[in-house]
Amino acid sequence: MRTQIVMDHTGDSRHTFDEADQAAVAEAEKRFLELTGAGFTAAQRTGSGESTIVRSFDPTAEEVLFVPRLVGG
Amino acid sequence: MGSPLVTIEMMTGLSPAAIAALTGAALPDAAAHARATALLREWLTPEQLRQFDADGCFEVVGCDSGLRYRLKHGRVDALDREGATIFSLCFHPGGQFASGDVMLAQKIALESDENATLAVTNFIPRRRFGG
Repeated sequence: MRTQIVMDHTGDSRHTFDEADQAAVAEAEKRFLELTGAGFTAAQRTGSGESTIVRSFDPTAEEVLFVPRLVGG
Repeated sequence: MGSPLVTIEMMTGLSPAAIAALTGAALPDAAAHARATALLREWLTPEQLRQFDADGCFEVVGCDSGLRYRLKHGRVDALDREGATIFSLCFHPGGQFASGDVMLAQKIALESDENATLAVTNFIPRRRFGG
């Protein structure tokens, strides 16, 4: 199972999908495009505490975190 | 500075529930803060986790400049070699988020996309904090 984690006021909301389920993968990709299109940054852990920005949807990514657009305070 | 939630709480002394009742805004509650902190801890390096457990803050290195930054409850300080603050940054995810989420967002931003982050941040010179 793969997981998409979206930061929100509850802490975060999680969406899991089976990469072997085409319909679920399509929904996950749609969610990825909607969130990144709305300004969210997608990030993935690559090692022990290291992370990279995810620029395109990857159905094999174990866990992707969506961070809201940053603003100056 | 820091997340809007922290700022409003500090300035008014009102609880998140009271603020939400007054404004109609959905604010993070205690469960959200705990959830966000747990997520943050999953994303920290072993050294960052050690720092966080010890002092409630941790350091990151900017991916483009190599500068060290200290993150503490939404505050971001750029550090010199001795650990003194050179200047501070003010940026956070837009909206109402628990402090753990704010710190995680700041960590990812500086470690993965520092230049883009600096383009949106507000800079606060060191002298405002008395040196």
